[in-house]
Amino acid sequence: MSPITWYQFVAALLLGLGLFGLVSRRTLVGMLISVELTLNGAGLSIAAAAQLTDMDAVLGQLGTLFVMGLAAAEATLVLAILVIVSRRFKNTQTDSVSELRG
Amino acid sequence: MSMELVGKIAFWFYTLVIVSGGALAVTSPSLVRAMMGLIATLFGVAGMYLLLNAPLLAFMQLLIYVGAVSVLIFFAIMFTRASAEGDESAEGGLWVQARSVLAFALPAGVLGLTAFLAAPASIPVPVEVAADKLGQGLLGPYTLAFELISIVLLAAMAGAVLLAFEKRGRK
Repeated sequence: MSPITWYQFVAALLLGLGLFGLVSRRTLVGMLISVELTLNGAGLSIAAAAQLTDMDAVLGQLGTLFVMGLAAAEATLVLAILVIVSRRFKNTQTDSVSELRG
Repeated sequence: MSMELVGKIAFWFYTLVIVSGGALAVTSPSLVRAMMGLIATLFGVAGMYLLLNAPLLAFMQLLIYVGAVSVLIFFAIMFTRASAEGDESAEGGLWVQARSVLAFALPAGVLGLTAFLAAPASIPVPVEVAADKLGQGLLGPYTLAFELISIVLLAAMAGAVLLAFEKRGRK
């Protein structure tokens, strides 16, 4: 198997672990940690595809950097949302944030 | 020992770090321990970037993720007064576990199979890109994306401050 396949396996594994956590976690902080795992998998996949094929390597590395920037922005916003949720509901269990449930 | 063998050993070592850290991050009942697992995974991915001959990416991974994002998540744990034990300790039912395993296996399996069946011809030695080439890319063909990501970061920061701001005296 070519090297890029192994890197893509690791990236898919990171995505799968992140989705696993996203479904199984019951607090918002745990879900945030899982999303970070998923985004890391995306970055690794883009970087591997750029570095190990004939693709423009500059584009790939910059794409990975943009994924990191988006992850930072997302983490900031989720922190703010967590502060609000914990202020209003006194905890961050996902089950307690269900006022709109019918 | 040939360099190729060293590279393979390093790859499997980083994979081990990533998998064990990730497993700890998504299964540990204590959120602080899950955070430690996430940090181990981030270090492993940084090592992968080094193996891919992208030292700038590895450095940024350490700087942004290990340095900034993990501190943010620690703040999140602190602000929400998550207890060190027990937030995640309640056992989910069989259905929760089944759908979690499904959420892991389905996308990872499909993507892994695709990567296996439709593997592109890969070059044996990763391309090396100097940091100044990346800078020229940011200021040349990819200026729009660069400016947009700064706007996104600014909006996220301003929005976070606006959301979490509490007027003095109001309870």
